[in-house]
Order: sequence, then structure tokens, then C-alpha cells
Amino acid sequence: MKRFLIAAVGAAALALSAAQAAAFEVGIIAFQMSSETHARVANAAAAAAKAKGWTVTLLNSEGALPKHAEQFDALIAKKVDAIIVAMGKPIEAEAQFKAARDKGVPVVTVMSGASKDTLFDIQVNEYKVGAEAALYLFGQMGYTGNLISQRFEGNVGTRIRGRLLDDVLVENQAVKEIGKHSMARTQSWRDDVRAGMQALLLKNQGQINGVWASFDGQAYIIDDLLKAQGVKRGAIPLVSIDGGEETYRRIADPDSTLLATVMIPFEGMGERAVEAIDSIVVKKQPKESVTSGPYLFQDAVLVDASNVKQFLKK
Amino acid sequence: MGRILERYGTALAGLALIVFFAAAAPNFLNPANLLNIGKETSFLAILALGFMLALIAGELDLSIADVASLAAVACGALVQWGYGPLAGVAAALGVGLAAGLFNGFAVTILHVPSLIATLGLAAIAKGLGFMLTQGVAFVGRWPTEFTGLARGALLGVPNLILWLIAVSALVWLLVGATRTGLHMTAAGEATEAARLAGVKTDRMKRLGLALCGLLAGATAMLLASSLSSAAPGMAGDYFLYAIAAVLLGMTMFDPGRPNAPGTLVAALSLKVLGNGLVLMGAPYYAQDIALGAIIIASVAVSAAALKRAAFKV
Repeated sequence: MKRFLIAAVGAAALALSAAQAAAFEVGIIAFQMSSETHARVANAAAAAAKAKGWTVTLLNSEGALPKHAEQFDALIAKKVDAIIVAMGKPIEAEAQFKAARDKGVPVVTVMSGASKDTLFDIQVNEYKVGAEAALYLFGQMGYTGNLISQRFEGNVGTRIRGRLLDDVLVENQAVKEIGKHSMARTQSWRDDVRAGMQALLLKNQGQINGVWASFDGQAYIIDDLLKAQGVKRGAIPLVSIDGGEETYRRIADPDSTLLATVMIPFEGMGERAVEAIDSIVVKKQPKESVTSGPYLFQDAVLVDASNVKQFLKK
Repeated sequence: MGRILERYGTALAGLALIVFFAAAAPNFLNPANLLNIGKETSFLAILALGFMLALIAGELDLSIADVASLAAVACGALVQWGYGPLAGVAAALGVGLAAGLFNGFAVTILHVPSLIATLGLAAIAKGLGFMLTQGVAFVGRWPTEFTGLARGALLGVPNLILWLIAVSALVWLLVGATRTGLHMTAAGEATEAARLAGVKTDRMKRLGLALCGLLAGATAMLLASSLSSAAPGMAGDYFLYAIAAVLLGMTMFDPGRPNAPGTLVAALSLKVLGNGLVLMGAPYYAQDIALGAIIIASVAVSAAALKRAAFKV
């Protein structure tokens, strides 16, 4: 009888715990799911939350600020228990972030920038990442020669990377930037990058010693252009930032001109956001047990031929 | 029954949507949520009413969203550079009106089809937006006098809803109760006949396009004020929705004709759909699929009206 009672109480406790877990609801907003990095963060967070038995509402702001704000309003009205935002806009949508805080809905952002209305922002240090990529490229060029760059000013992370490239250029006067193209369009950006870089490669034929791209998606297009022109690996080193399966495949490919990337752990950041909410909101641990400041920094790793094997899926 | 469906089919579908979400989506009828829907509808509806005015005059304005984004950026620039809220408001409305006047000039003086002229202006506006901002949004340091334009409330009613009511009433009055509205409609529906009857059709087309630009500027002002930020491309998402609202609106109340009540109900229905699906926890891709399906279904209900509309536009 005693055993039966213990088993019954245990089962009831388990059921209650499962019910509580099932009752927990998290809203996840990705600013633009058509961007691979945004989708990687959001999908990883959604998968981690579902693995905990949470109810997940996954939203896509489609790169539109008003829609971003509307979705925030809707999640607050829905009375979700927490919100995770991937590459969001806490400053631009400050009224909605403040409303979440006022209503007691905890918000964790990923790669969005700090805000007084969120618990913290999970980030890699973009300044460090930008410096690492630029210095690696300069090293491959022997700190001399000409480079061209493919930039993107519309995103804070890629903009910082570009600014770090400028700083490294200022300190290393033997390297000249003889051409740069800034991606203007966001929806048909691949076509934009292809057209811009094609023009730069043609204009500066025979004078280019290195190429810098602000994110890996741009680097794939440049790599294909260089290969189509018969450029061999190492002749014009190409360096970028982000990481991912396709990037690692190219870095390992002896025919590819893409030599290195700085790997940003997008999936890891999404999962970390869920873990942080689990600790702080569900298990009621103090925020300081996760991080005391406005940022929770994650490590970014430089990936090149020397270590790419450990990143390639078996 | 057929006549009722033809005139009110889409509106009834919108009502059915509200009833469905009231029953199925938790917190849908929460007053705060209903106010949210009202506020969110205001941007889309004001922009769509502008597009509708151009369409009434027989012209398409495909630059509305990019002009609204540029107007928001111009407004943000002046406010952030310390010229004050009034200058910001004037900049937003001025850029919108100037864009509308340019479109009118291109269409009626240079005889460029509105489809081409407004597409060209859209590209220019997008480029100017990036030129002014270098891709970096204007954020922070927005005076409360400016943000209050959209975020404030009067007797508990959010200002955005009051703006929407005021603009809708003015547009409805202009189109339905003034000689100018009558002339605009005549110029749009039968340009040559109207011209022979003494209507200054080119002037009416210029007016339609100018008012369209002005309302794009008003939308920009309210967007910047509500979001306390201004970025290039910030109104881009409204482009297709505004057109969808006007076309859906043409299937009700006065079937086959662009009309203000129809546009308003259609804009509200689109926003109800987006909000209700979020509250139900539908995945993001389901929202696009549902939106497309409901647009097709609504139009199918009023197929006869749409057929007539196809001949008129």
C-alpha cells in the first residue's frame, strides 16, 4: 500500500510537473527568416524550447519594423511567459520592448544589442570578430597589396565588421582597398552582390590580392565568381564571417578560394537563450547566475583549413 | 441573397473571421488587443486610402511604400538634427506631397504611364533613403511632442485610431460628397468622356496622385512617431498589403469601384487575420498561406463584382 502511495504521489508530481512545463509558453520572433543566420537562431531556439515541452509560437517579422512591433504587441496580448528575439530591434521598437517589461514578460534577445527592457542580449563580440577576420586576410596577403570588399551597412553586425576592416586598413598602409561594393538591396541581395562584385573584379583585373566579405552568403557568390575566372585557391584569398555547413565545405574544398571564416555559434545562441529563460523564469534563479551585465558573450572561432575538419558533419 | 453577397460578401467574411478568432484565439477580445488591432490598422488603412485615391483617378501609384519610407527618413533626420517636431511633420508630409506631385507631373505632362513613372520614383525614393541614412536608422532622442502624435490618446482612444477616423472621414467625404470627388471618379472611369464633358481630367489625375503621396507622408509621420525610429525601407512591408486592401475593398459596398469603407474594412480584416493567427500560435509560414487563401476566397465570394472591376480598372 505504501509503495502504491509513493508511486501515486510520484506519478502525480510528474504529471503536475509535465503540466506546468506544457503550460509554459515562449514566443520567438526572428527579424527576417529569409536570412539564414536569423533562421538558424530562431529554429534552434524553437527546437530547444519544444524539447523542454514548452509551447512555441515562432514568428517572422519579414524584415519589417512595423511588423516586428505588431508581433511583439500580439505576443504580449497572448500573455506568453517569455519572448526570445533573434536579430531584433530593441531600440527601434522600444515602446514594445518597454510594454513587455511593464507587463512582466521577460525578453532575451540574440544579436540584437542591449536594452534596459530585456534581461540581456546574447552576442559574440562583433568588434573582435571583425578584427580577427581582417587580420587573417591581411596575414594571407603578407600585409601588402590590394583588396576589394563586399559590405553590408544595413545590419549592425556586418557594419561593425566593415568598420573594423577600415581600422585595420588605417594601421596597415601597405594594404590598399581599391574597390568596395555595399549591398543595398535586402530581398534580392544575391543578385546585387553578384552584379557589384562582377563589376569590381572586371575593373581591377590583375591587381587584386585579397577579397573581404561581410558575411558568408556574400562570400559564396564571390567564390563562385573567382572560380569561374579560373582563380586558384590562395591566389586571391577570400575571407568572411558567420560559419555554417556550406562555408566549411568550401573551406575544405581545394578548388575554393574561401580560405577562412569566423564561426559565430548561431544555433548555440538560440539554445542558450532557451537555457537562460529556463534558469531565470522557470527555475527562478537570479539573473546574475547567467550573466550580470547586459550581454552574454559567446565565443566565435576562426575556422580555416587547419581546423575545418572538426566542424564538418561526418 | 446574391446581391447581398455581392455587396457585403467580403465584409461578412471579415466579420466571420472576427467571430472565429473570438472563439478560437485566447485573449483576442481583450480590450488591449482590440486597441492594438485598431492601431496597427491605422498605418495600413491610411496608406491604402491614398492608393485608392490614385486608383479612383485612374492611376496606379506603386511608389507609396518607398515614398513613405523616404518621408519617414526625412522626418527622422530633421527631428534628430534638432529642428523640432513641427519640422519633422512638415518634412514627412512635404516629401509625400512632393512625390505625389512629381508622379502627377510625370503622368500628365511627360505622359509616362503611371505604372512606369511610379516604379521609377520608388527606386529613386529607396536610393535617397539609403543616401540620407547610410543604412543606419534614426533612433533615440525623439521628443515626446512628436512621439505623442501616434502614441498618445484622447479620452482613452489612441491617437492612431483618431487619425484613422479623421483621414477616412475626409477621404470618404471627398470622394462621395464633393464635386471634386465626382470629377476624380469620372476622370478615372471614363477619361475621354469626362474630358469631353468639361472635366479637367489631367488635373484630377494630378490631384489623385498628390493626395496619394500626401497620405504616404502622413503614414510615414505616424510610423516614425509610433516606432520612434526611421529607417530606409521601413514601410516596404505595407506595399502589397495596401494594394490587397484596396482590391479587397473593391469587392464590397460599391462592388467594382475603389471605395473608402471597403478599403477600411479590408485593411481591418487583414490586420485581424495577422493578429488572430499569432494569438492562436500558428507558425509564421501559415500566416502567409492563410492570408493568400482568404484573399482568394473573399474575392471569389464577390466574383461577379470582381469581373466588373476588371473591366473598369
